[in-house]
Formats: sequence, C-alpha cells, structure tokens
Amino acid sequence: MTTFLQQLINGISIGSVYALMAVGYSLVYSIMNFSNFAHGGVIMIGAYLGFFALAIWQLPFPIAFFIAAVGSGILAIVLERIAYNPLRKRNAPFLYFIISAMGASIFLENIVIATIGPNFKTYPQVFQKTPYEIGALAIGRLDVVMFIISAVSLLILLIIIEKTKVGMAIKATAYNFKASSLMGVNTDYIIFIVFGLGGALAGIAGILFGMKYTVYPQIGVITIKAFIAAVFGGLGSLSGAVIGAISLGIIETMTAGYISSQLRDLIAFALLIFILVVRPMGIMGKMNEDKA
Amino acid sequence: MLKIRDLNVHYGGIHALRGVDIDVEEGQIVSIIGSNGAGKSTLLNAISAVVKTSGGTIEFKGKPIPKSVNKIVGLGISQVPEGRLVFANLSVKDNLLMGAYLRRDKALIKRDLENVYRLFPRLYERIDQMAGTLSGGEQQMLAMGRGLMSDPDIILLDEPSLGLAPLLVKTIFEIIEDIKKMNKTILLVEQNAFKALSIADVGYVLEQGKIIKKGDAKELIADPVIQEAYLGKRKS
Ligand SMILES: Nc1ncnc2c1ncn2[C@@H]1O[C@H](COP(=O)(O)OP(=O)(O)O)[C@@H](O)[C@H]1O
Ligand SMILES: [Mg+2]
Repeated sequence: MTTFLQQLINGISIGSVYALMAVGYSLVYSIMNFSNFAHGGVIMIGAYLGFFALAIWQLPFPIAFFIAAVGSGILAIVLERIAYNPLRKRNAPFLYFIISAMGASIFLENIVIATIGPNFKTYPQVFQKTPYEIGALAIGRLDVVMFIISAVSLLILLIIIEKTKVGMAIKATAYNFKASSLMGVNTDYIIFIVFGLGGALAGIAGILFGMKYTVYPQIGVITIKAFIAAVFGGLGSLSGAVIGAISLGIIETMTAGYISSQLRDLIAFALLIFILVVRPMGIMGKMNEDKA
Repeated sequence: MLKIRDLNVHYGGIHALRGVDIDVEEGQIVSIIGSNGAGKSTLLNAISAVVKTSGGTIEFKGKPIPKSVNKIVGLGISQVPEGRLVFANLSVKDNLLMGAYLRRDKALIKRDLENVYRLFPRLYERIDQMAGTLSGGEQQMLAMGRGLMSDPDIILLDEPSLGLAPLLVKTIFEIIEDIKKMNKTILLVEQNAFKALSIADVGYVLEQGKIIKKGDAKELIADPVIQEAYLGKRKS
C-alpha cells in the first residue's frame, strides 16, 4: 500500500510536468492542425536557460524560472515566424509544416551541441534533498514543487482560455480561421499568443525536468511523451491532454515500481499504439468538436 | 453605399469573377441570384477581403476597402458565411459575443444582444448550449445573429436558405425583412431565386462570374427569360 501511494504521488508529480508539455503542444495543434515537432526543441532550450540561470549566472530560482518561461515563449514565437508563417502565407501543404518543424528541431539540437556541447549537465541543487515525511511516505520536495508549479501554470492557462476575450478568440480561431477573422479577429495575433503560451509552458516543463533529472541536447525527445499524452487525451483537447499526461505519469511510475523501469517506455508506447487503434479520438476527444 | 466596379477574381487558372459591377444603396435589400458555382460566395468573399481581387475596385461609403479580412467588420460590413460556420465549440452566447469582438461599448453590446434574442427567441432558449449541438436552422439563426452583433451598416448573407426545410426557409426570409426594418442594408446571394427576389429591391443575375442582368427585383421576377432559367421550378 505504501509503495502504491508512493508511486502514485511520484506519477502525479511527473505527470503534471508531462501535462505542461502536452497542453502547450495540444494548444498549438488546436490552432494549426499539425504536430509541432519543434516543441521538444523549445523544451530543451528552456531546460538550458534554466541551467545557465541557476548554475552559471547563479540567479535565484524565481528569476531562473522567469527566464526559462519567457525565453522559451519568445523562442516559440520566433520559430513560428521563421519556420511556419511563410508556409501559412502561401497555403503550403500540411506535410511542409511537419518537415519544417522537424528541421527546426534538428537545428536547435545541433546548435546546442555545437555551442554548449553534447554532454549531460547537472543542475545545482535548488530544493533540499530531505523529503517531507508523512507516516511511511517520503515525498520529495522537488516533486511537490514540480506539482505546484505545473498546477498553477495550467490554472493560469485555463483562466486565460476560459475567462478572457483573447481566450474566446483562440477557441474561435481553433474552430475556424475564416469565421474568426470575419469577426475582426487578427488571426496572426492569435497564433502569436498561442505559440507564446505554448512556448512558455514548454520552458517551464524544461526547467522542472532539468532540475529533476539532467539536461542534454536530446532532452526534447521527451515531447514524444507529451505527444502520447495528447493523443491519449484526444488531440487538441486541453483537458484531455492533462488527463492523458497524468495517466501516463502514473502508468510509468507504476510500471517502474511493480514491473521494471526498463519496461516503462515500452508500456507507454504500447499504450499509444493501442489508443490509436482502438480509440483514435482519445479519451476526451470528440474529434474536431472539442478543440482548444 | 457599396460600389463595385469591374471586379475580377482568379483562383489560379479559374477566372471566378469577370468584370462585375454592383451598386448597393443604403436601406436596400439587393439580391444576387445565380446557380451553384456562379461566383456568389467569391463576390462576398472579395468584399470581405477573404479572397484577393485581381482587378477592379470595391468602395464602401466612398472609400476603398482594406486588404485584411479582420479590418472589414469594423467598417460596418458583416458577412454571414455560406455553411454558417458557427463556432461549434462555443456556447450560443459566446458565438454572439464573438460577433461583437471589436466593440468596446458594453451597454450597446447588451442592447444588441437583447435585440438578437428578440429577433431569434429560439437562440435565447439555448443561450448556454454549444453551437455545435444546434439544428441547421438554429445554426443559421445564430450565424445571422452573430453577424448582427457587430452592429453593421450592411450585412452580407451567403445562401441563408441552403439546406433548410421549406418552413424554415420561410422563417429565415421573414427575418431578413425584419433585419431590413432595423435600418440595415442587405446584400443577399441565393440560389433560391424566387424567394430572394421577392423580398429584394434590386436584383442581379450572376452567371459564370458575369452579371448578365440587373434590375428592379419585381421586374426580374416577371422577366420570362429569368422565369425560365431560375424560377422554372418555383422552389420555395
Ligand atoms: N478556393 C477556391 N479555389 C479554387 N477555385 C475556387 C475556390 N472557391 C471557388 N472556386 C471556384 O470559383 C467558382 C465560383 O465559386 P463560388 O464563388 O463558390 O460559387 P457560388 O458561391 O456561386 O456557388 C467555381 O467554379 C468554384 O469552383
Ligand atoms: Mg457559394
């Protein structure tokens, strides 16, 4: 029972970071209708920004956090301008976007390898290692921080989407560009906002992930987890992405705890294929109805 | 109010509008009738800057219209697009509020919202329902209500009767006449020629991208050539 609770807590904690990735990714998908594979590159840059801020510039955590979030948000906006906007302006086929995204992702990875190097970098210890003890349970401080930051970030995003005018315009644009622009919505501005928000969430995920594990140029591969979570929840559905991500986190830690940590990714990918075959719209998806 | 001269639109090799001239005066209902593929939607999309024109001019209140779609509604030109395109993922109320997206005048938005509910009581009953769950007729009403929420001077209606049952078609056309009474100018494009001409002041006939006839709507209904080509079946 203790093991179960312990793994459940770990799963929710790591799942909440997956949720940051999956929601940002899903948000962009809901507007652009293509899988932004450069999302992993943005997470990676966020993790490096956090590393530099904490380890090299020795800044306090809140400032490092801010740098990672804002820097990644800006990076995502710049990537959209360079890699997608020109394609969008001439109605390029869907495949071009995917190729451009992969190109951007490989570019970012290699620029980091060339300038910073291919090695793993370890974050300095920001939060004390001694866990909170509740009965027989030991809950890592970092895990608690990860969960709280993720939950608050997602809550802020939820408020933006559900309670503000720009949020309503994001939903309208996700549903139909033409109708939305007929209402006076500047769809370029909406895309700018969406990439900025998605990028900021990616940066937050990056710094949290870097603190929990390490940072290295290929860390962006982790987005495949976000992708699984987003598909699991129903692509384009934000609530689905959160549920999918938390479920994935729990499934992973349970697998690691009860079966073998070697099988963790195998099970995650098997799950992806299973969902795609059995319920391609995901658990929350109503196909196109539930976007953004 | 709206003055279109020698308007041309190309889609790649397709010449969809060929030198179209149209005038809409304030307070009128102007109906443009034409069969499927004649270029009706292209015309409205050119006015709304959704498609690029390849020649000619479109002037609204004496000024050329801007080239970006999102700048059009602010001038007082509102389009209710073909196929309704209501935001299925938003509630009825939020769809209407999207119609007022650029407006800041809270009190007047509230007034217009109430006017829309008065015009379409069925929308009021479904205020919190997702637009995607409405019937076709209700979605058409919502699209028209949304189009009115920008408080436009002219409203462009793209085949509002398409795919609706006869009884609903009748209702929709009655509502169009009510909208005229709200001091709105209306540019209506329709395949349902009889209905469209019977409520109109002026009519145009669009065929393969060209205006082949223009005139007083009552005279067009009586015109034998038009009766044969467009009113033969008298669908209503
Ligand atoms: N986006 C587009 N790309 C290419 N051709 C188009 C496009 N939209 C319309 N057309 C063509 O332009 C012509 C006019 O279409 P449209 O304006 O939709 O006619 P209507 O609304 O009268 O049915 C048709 O031949 C149609 O096939
Ligand atoms: Mg049409």
